Amino acid sequence: MTKANESFQEVSIHISRSSMTTEVNKTGSWRFVRPKYDEKTAPCSAACPAGEDIARIEMLAGQGLFEAAVETVLLENPFPAVCGRVCFHPCENACNRAGLDAPVAIHSLERFLGDGAAGGGLRLSLDKLPDNGKKVCIVGSGPAGLAAAYFLTRLGYLCDVFEAGTEPGGLLRWGIPEYRLPASVLKHDIDRIENLGINIHCNTPVTRRFLKDAKQRYDAVFIGCGHGRSLQMGIAGEELASDGLGFLYHLRRGQISAAGGTAAVIGGGNAAVDVARSLVRLGTTVVLAYRRRRQDMPAFQSEVAMAVEEGVEIMELVAPVRIEADGGESVLTLQKMKVSPAQTGGGRARVVPDGETTRGLKVDRIFTAIGAEALEPWQLPPAENSQTLRMSHCTLTIKEQPMVFGGDLTNRLKSVTDAIASGKQAAMALDIFFKSGLEVIQERLSACLVGKGPALSMARYLGVGRTTRNSHIVLYDEINRDYFLPAARAAATRLDVDKRMQSVAQIEQTLTSTQVLEETGRCFNCGICNDCDNCRLFCPEIAVTLTGTRRQVNLDYCKGCGICVVECPRNAMALEEEP
Amino acid sequence: MTQLNIPDEDYMYPGHVGCPGCGAAIAMKFALKAMGARTIVVIPACCWGVMAGQYPQSSLKVPILQTAFATAGATASGLRAALDMQGDTETTVMAWAGDGGTFDIGIQALSGAVERNEDFVYACYDNEAYMNTGVQRSSATPFGTRTTTTPGEGWKKSRKKNMVEILAAHRIPYAATASIAFPEDMIRKFDKARQMKGGTRFLHVFASCPTGWRVPSELSVKIARLAVQTNIFPLYEVENGVNYTLNYRGDRPAADYMKVQGRFKHLSDADFLKIQQMVDEDWQLLLRKVTHFSGN
Amino acid sequence: MRTVLEGSHAVSEAVRLARVQVMSAYPITPQTHIVEALSEYCAAGTMDARFICVESEHSAMAAVIGASSGGVRTFTATSSQGLALMHELLHWASAARLPIVMAEVNRALAPGWNIWMDQTDSLAQRDTGWIQLYCEDGQEVFDTTLQAFRLAESVNLPVMVVLDAFFLSHTFEPVDVPDQETVDRFLPAFSPRISLDLSNPCAFGQMAGPAVYMEMRHDIQKAMQQVPARFEHIETEYAALFNRRYGPVEPVRCDDAEIIMVVTGTAASTCRQVISELRRQGEKVGMLKLRMFRPFPTDLIRRILGPARKVAVVDRNFSFGASGIFAQEIRAALCNRDGHPPVFGYIAGLGGRDVPPETLAQIYRMAKDSDGPEQESVWVGLRD
Repeated sequence: MTKANESFQEVSIHISRSSMTTEVNKTGSWRFVRPKYDEKTAPCSAACPAGEDIARIEMLAGQGLFEAAVETVLLENPFPAVCGRVCFHPCENACNRAGLDAPVAIHSLERFLGDGAAGGGLRLSLDKLPDNGKKVCIVGSGPAGLAAAYFLTRLGYLCDVFEAGTEPGGLLRWGIPEYRLPASVLKHDIDRIENLGINIHCNTPVTRRFLKDAKQRYDAVFIGCGHGRSLQMGIAGEELASDGLGFLYHLRRGQISAAGGTAAVIGGGNAAVDVARSLVRLGTTVVLAYRRRRQDMPAFQSEVAMAVEEGVEIMELVAPVRIEADGGESVLTLQKMKVSPAQTGGGRARVVPDGETTRGLKVDRIFTAIGAEALEPWQLPPAENSQTLRMSHCTLTIKEQPMVFGGDLTNRLKSVTDAIASGKQAAMALDIFFKSGLEVIQERLSACLVGKGPALSMARYLGVGRTTRNSHIVLYDEINRDYFLPAARAAATRLDVDKRMQSVAQIEQTLTSTQVLEETGRCFNCGICNDCDNCRLFCPEIAVTLTGTRRQVNLDYCKGCGICVVECPRNAMALEEEP
Repeated sequence: MTQLNIPDEDYMYPGHVGCPGCGAAIAMKFALKAMGARTIVVIPACCWGVMAGQYPQSSLKVPILQTAFATAGATASGLRAALDMQGDTETTVMAWAGDGGTFDIGIQALSGAVERNEDFVYACYDNEAYMNTGVQRSSATPFGTRTTTTPGEGWKKSRKKNMVEILAAHRIPYAATASIAFPEDMIRKFDKARQMKGGTRFLHVFASCPTGWRVPSELSVKIARLAVQTNIFPLYEVENGVNYTLNYRGDRPAADYMKVQGRFKHLSDADFLKIQQMVDEDWQLLLRKVTHFSGN
Repeated sequence: MRTVLEGSHAVSEAVRLARVQVMSAYPITPQTHIVEALSEYCAAGTMDARFICVESEHSAMAAVIGASSGGVRTFTATSSQGLALMHELLHWASAARLPIVMAEVNRALAPGWNIWMDQTDSLAQRDTGWIQLYCEDGQEVFDTTLQAFRLAESVNLPVMVVLDAFFLSHTFEPVDVPDQETVDRFLPAFSPRISLDLSNPCAFGQMAGPAVYMEMRHDIQKAMQQVPARFEHIETEYAALFNRRYGPVEPVRCDDAEIIMVVTGTAASTCRQVISELRRQGEKVGMLKLRMFRPFPTDLIRRILGPARKVAVVDRNFSFGASGIFAQEIRAALCNRDGHPPVFGYIAGLGGRDVPPETLAQIYRMAKDSDGPEQESVWVGLRD
């Protein structure tokens, strides 16, 4: 009002002007569906025998949080550097990214993290429950035994590991060649386990008597001694062939230098391939004779492919008949086999002899690697009965006190990672037994499954993580691919074939951190929240709030439009009916 | 962790009455993140005239001047003059109008303002029909659409008007398209527009309308993305009416976008073919003018 | 300073002295001289103001609404078609309670195209909530325009200053134009009660439903009801500074008149002459010049016209299907007064047709000779 009008009161102005905000309208009343944060299971983690929280590991690594990433690995698997080299990575076969371009290089990423943890540059904290006064006797320091010791120690048990050999590691130390798993790398992983407070007693074979005494001093026993006896072929002249596993052992001990000449390796598993590839590095020309087809070989296909690259000739559909000496060489007579029309249930071809056709193979040396079995009868797990529980990766039997059989003794798939899973399952089963009894073990274990299992999560068991994860396994179609552009998979630097043959150096280098940051960017992080903030960004109602790192849907205003759920690239949300 | 390049602060309150999934709500949210607190928004009749709040409420943290349907361009011009005369050259005037108030009833005032090169930002959030009054066709409604005034066999047989080109012909200092599905791009453009004082800056924002397009509300952002991915709504910028920068190259067929919308479900394969030809033709016309490419 | 000014320039001089800051207009004959002069002032820096050359009258009103909302003193001018085009926004300006001042040059509405004097255009906007003041001569145009700013800002309602096309807009008359300093004493700097304010952000023009709208409308009427008292005060201050006063109505020799003629605009000048002549002939005639049409000066109309035997209203306008508009409003004002005279309505001077003294004298005779009005409005001087 102008000064001159002051003698009059200000005239009333009642117009359509606001004096408050729309916050008084609780538009949440419009809703008939409601969004929620609902983390789900990534297919990789369900496929991993150790149940590693892979989506989260890659997310943390992608954020440069390598320590946190390694700790997340170590929650479920004490052997990242080992597995990053020798695991058959079923995770990559399950990886949803394959639908877009190529699976995430999870295997190589694990190696990077494992090597980083070994380097000592990272400060790791591995939590551990307080000592509970119980002691466990662990037989065998292979991956099963050491994993069992590791998980039991974290659960508060005191573990003594008894190892017949001169050094711990089992097949990791003596069965897998140096170029696949250097001894120094293995040592770092084992040292970390040992430093938790585990006592490893080498040069201490366990006998039946030892076990009987042990039962007095220990509250439980874990048998993880593996298959100590190689299988025989049962053919004439068998004594002229050498045991493949024994060859590998002596090679790791440094007791074999050069070889040269020619050799035949009989078998189709990883051991046979390891023998063949070790021989070529010693200058030998190798033929690998297998009774079925190449695709039926139980060995990891990537190993087989590399063997062929390195010059190993694979002779398919041949079975050994007899071995005869011929001068300094041996002649291996092989029967031609053919695929029988009647298939077995497992999809592996059933083979039968193809007529009378045989052929002779003259070589300097013959090696067998057709499998192994338990050395002593007391190492065999008992059949299921009222006091014996058979689980997916171990068998628990109660005879005065609990005894768990694990590793190759019980596992259907005889892989390192399955052995680790076995140790974890055994540790959890024992802990449940001690706290609540035999009857509830299966039930309690199933609450810790990753997806539908059989992998178990120690994090879930301890209640330190993944406790609210929905067991639904995220499908490729549930990923919002609008958010992902095709990108090349990281390729680790590889030695040329010629270089490979000249030594037992590792074939691939570890990825660089630049490569790691790029490659982890390719991971969809299926089912888990990686803080991308899309939900909050796109909400038309400003109804997603962020407090610190926690997001919440403000139900006062959320209209249930569902945009947040669709725009979550990784299916970490869900819509549920309004209660 | 929040996204880089996206300012965290919002200048909008919850509790507005936009439909669930409203693209125009998202559009305003993003625009204001870039425009900031020193903004006055001029809103003619449109959905946002209702979403701005029913007396005595307001849904924004910045001042709003609602105005008659045809007047956004003129009212913003007057407001700008008033601010300038009071020595305030910092506050940005942003006209915020729907397609009706921009392409049709408001085109005269907009054209006049742009010809005078008035100093304000004009944002049109385009939901491709007169949505506020019940989904009647506008000149922004695409060829092929059924609306309440182009129902049944009378579905719209004329093409969507190209507002950016119209204003480019005015030699407007800055005109650009933007999409709620591309938040970083949209916010960059609004921020750029905010800073380019002294002339008119126009932003054509694609704001999906699940209600009017008969699309489930949760697909609101996805459908906006598809419009860009199919080159039906290209993302580009024009400076001074002559320098064209393309921000994104799409490669999906038009049918991918149209088949998921109820407003197009009456179209036949022959219709889709024709529409694809139209989209391709418009795309080629645009490409001929493009001098820079800044995107994927 | 006494000078000879065209009616249009009486407006522009007042606007200049009122220190208007934002103007916007679209040219339409016969308003053009007003806006051209103001454009020159802006270009030359004579006025520290912005003139926005919009592309239509609708946009002109929108622009000044925007500017006024922004907190500055604003002005526009138009006529006939332009005013009609602005119609929607005239309602807007008043309901938004913006103190906009507009010069409205009374001109006929098309078709046929007619650029000359007619009052239908402004009267057709009588419901829009604008204060309307009708001017008789150039000095009054000047004075009313200055007073309009004071009045608008006092009640927060827009004011329309109405002047006859050509008869006033394009006629040169002596006008006393005061100096800036004195005008500043009458009309200090604008202190807006409505303004968009970043420090207190609110929204203007929100949806207002059935529960609240009526009160807002009532508030406009309450402001209108405050106008007579405030306008009188304003005119008193104006008279103290400039020695001129007009009032909302001007009665001339009404006290003992049997017949009172009601006239507006330049016709009032003619009528003064006719009244004098008729009085010399012994007729008991008087004249009421109606200046303020909105708010309608009901009390004054009742008091001044009530005692007369007959009232003869001259309308240079028409509301089709009813009658001349001033006549209608006067009838409405009188009907609730006990004992009121019959109101004779006469239509003259549409579309620029002259209303010479003879016509007014004829109207007087017709009213005198009739017992009662046979029609609501008699059209005077129709040609075959």
